[in-house]
Amino acid sequence: MTPAATSTGDPVISIRGLSVSYEHRRVLHQVDLDMYRGEIFVLLGGSGSGKTTLLKQVLGLARPDAGSILVNGIDITSCSADELATVRRRIGMAFQASALFNSLTVEENVALPLQELTALADPVIALMVWLKLKAVGLARAGGLLPHQLSGGMKKRAAIARAMALDPDILVFDEPSAGLDPIVSAGIDELILFLKRAFGMTVLVVTHAMESAERIADRLAMLHEGGLIAVGDREHFFGNDHPRLRQFLDRQPEPVSGDTAEGFAASFLHWIDHEH
Amino acid sequence: MTSLERIGGFTLHSAADAGALTLQLWRALLSLPRILPVVGNRRRWRAAVGQMLAIGAQALPMAGLMSFCLGYVLALQSAAELRRFDALRFVIDLVAVSFTRELGALITAIAVSGRSASAISAEVGTMMVTEEIDALRVMGLDPVEFTLAPKYLGALITVPCLTVLSTFCGVFAGYVFLAFSVDMNLRVYFHEVVESILLRDVWLTLIKSVIFATIIVQVGYLEGLRARGGPEAVGAAATAAVVKATFLVILADLAATTVFYVMGWSAVG
Repeated sequence: MTPAATSTGDPVISIRGLSVSYEHRRVLHQVDLDMYRGEIFVLLGGSGSGKTTLLKQVLGLARPDAGSILVNGIDITSCSADELATVRRRIGMAFQASALFNSLTVEENVALPLQELTALADPVIALMVWLKLKAVGLARAGGLLPHQLSGGMKKRAAIARAMALDPDILVFDEPSAGLDPIVSAGIDELILFLKRAFGMTVLVVTHAMESAERIADRLAMLHEGGLIAVGDREHFFGNDHPRLRQFLDRQPEPVSGDTAEGFAASFLHWIDHEH
Repeated sequence: MTSLERIGGFTLHSAADAGALTLQLWRALLSLPRILPVVGNRRRWRAAVGQMLAIGAQALPMAGLMSFCLGYVLALQSAAELRRFDALRFVIDLVAVSFTRELGALITAIAVSGRSASAISAEVGTMMVTEEIDALRVMGLDPVEFTLAPKYLGALITVPCLTVLSTFCGVFAGYVFLAFSVDMNLRVYFHEVVESILLRDVWLTLIKSVIFATIIVQVGYLEGLRARGGPEAVGAAATAAVVKATFLVILADLAATTVFYVMGWSAVG
C-alpha cells in the first residue's frame, strides 16, 4: 500500500518492503510506511497483528527477512554497528512496562544515558535530569525507586529517560496499557505537549482507540502482518475496510463453534436432544 | 518421535548451546578491559566490586562450611580404614591432597553455582521480561559490557580466592578430627600438609577454578537471556542455569583433570 502523502518533506522514518517471519510464521509482509518530521504517527493493530515486531524493527532490535528501514537517511537493516548506535541515540523509547532499571532511582535512570553516552560533567547532568523530570511532572519523585512509583508515574519516568538525550524521534509502546482513563489522558496530554514544545516526531504503537483519536496526526492499521489503512485522521477514520471498521466500531469476532459461546450453544443443544 | 530423532535433536540443541556460549564468552572477554580500574570505566569497576561481594565474599560461609564438613567426613571415613593398618598419619596426606587437587575447587564451584548461577539468570531473566535489556540496547549500551562483564570479572577474581579459603577449611577439618581423636598438634599437622602437597597442584586447581567461574557466570547469563514471557520463565531459567552450570562444572573437571594427567602435570612428584 502506498503511504498517504499528506505530510510534506523527507520522511524521518521510511520503511519499504519490510517482511519478517519467525520459525516459518509470517509476521510482517511487504510493509511500506513513511513517518514525517514533527508528526504524531499512531500505529494501530490488534493482538498478534505484528505491531510490536514492526516496532522492534524500527529500533534495530531485530533484522528483517527482506526490506529496508531508513531512519534519518540511514538504512538500519544493513548499516554497521557504529551507525546503528548513532541512529539509536537519536531515538528515545518508552517501553510498555516502562523498563526502568529497578536497582536505580528515577534520577539515576534518567541520568544513565547521559552518563554513559556523553562527556557532560555531573552537575550539568543533574540539571538536565531535573529539567526532564520537570517536563514530565516528576520533579519531586527523582529520589524514588521504580517499585515506589504508581503506573502513571512509571510511564512518565520512562518518558523522561527516553527524552534524556534530546532525541529527534520518540517511540511509545502501548502508553495507555494498564492505566486508568484519567492517568491515560494525562499521558496523552504529555505526548501532545512534547510534540508542541520540542517538535519531536512521535511514533505511538497502541490498540487504545480513545488515545489514538486524541493524539494522532496520521494513523496506520496493521492486520495479519500487513497494512490495511494508512492516512491522516480524516482519511483513516473514513476508510471502509471491513477489518478497520470492526476495530473502530469495537465489534467482536463472529461466533463460531470454536468460541466459548459456540461451545455453550453446542452443549445446550446436546442436553436438549440427549436428555 | 523416534530415538534417532531425539538424539539428533539433543545433539543440535547442545551444539547451539555451545556456539551461543562461545560467542558470548568471546564478547565478554573483549569487554573485560573496559571493566578494569584506571584504564576502564569507573562505574563498571564499581559494579564489578559489588559482584565480587555478591559472588565471592557472601559465598564464603557456605563454601567454607561445605568444605569443612566434607573434610571432616573424609578424615572420619579414611581413618576407620587406615587405623586397621596403623597408618592414621596418612589421613593428613589424604585430606590435604584430595582438597588441594580436587575437592576444594569442586565444592566451591558447586556452592557458587547454586548461589550465583541462579541469581545471575534470575536477574538477567527479569531484565529480559521487563524489557530492561532491550532498553539498554535501544540506548546504544552494550548489555554484555553493562551486565555480564562486571559479573564475569567479579567471579574471575573471587572464585579462585574462594577456592583457596575453602580448601583451607577442608584441610583444617582434617586437623579438627585428628585433634579430637589422637590429640594431633596443629604445627605438626600443617607441617605434614605442606610436605604432602605440591605448588603445581595449587596452580592447577586455580586454573580449574577460573574455568569453573567462567562456566557458572556464562551459563547463568545465557539462561537468563532466554527467559521470555512472565515470572515463571524467570524461575525456569534459574533452575536450568543451576542444573546446566553444575553439570558442566563436573564435566569440565573431568576434562581438565584428564588433560592435566595426560600432559603429566598432575603426576605424583
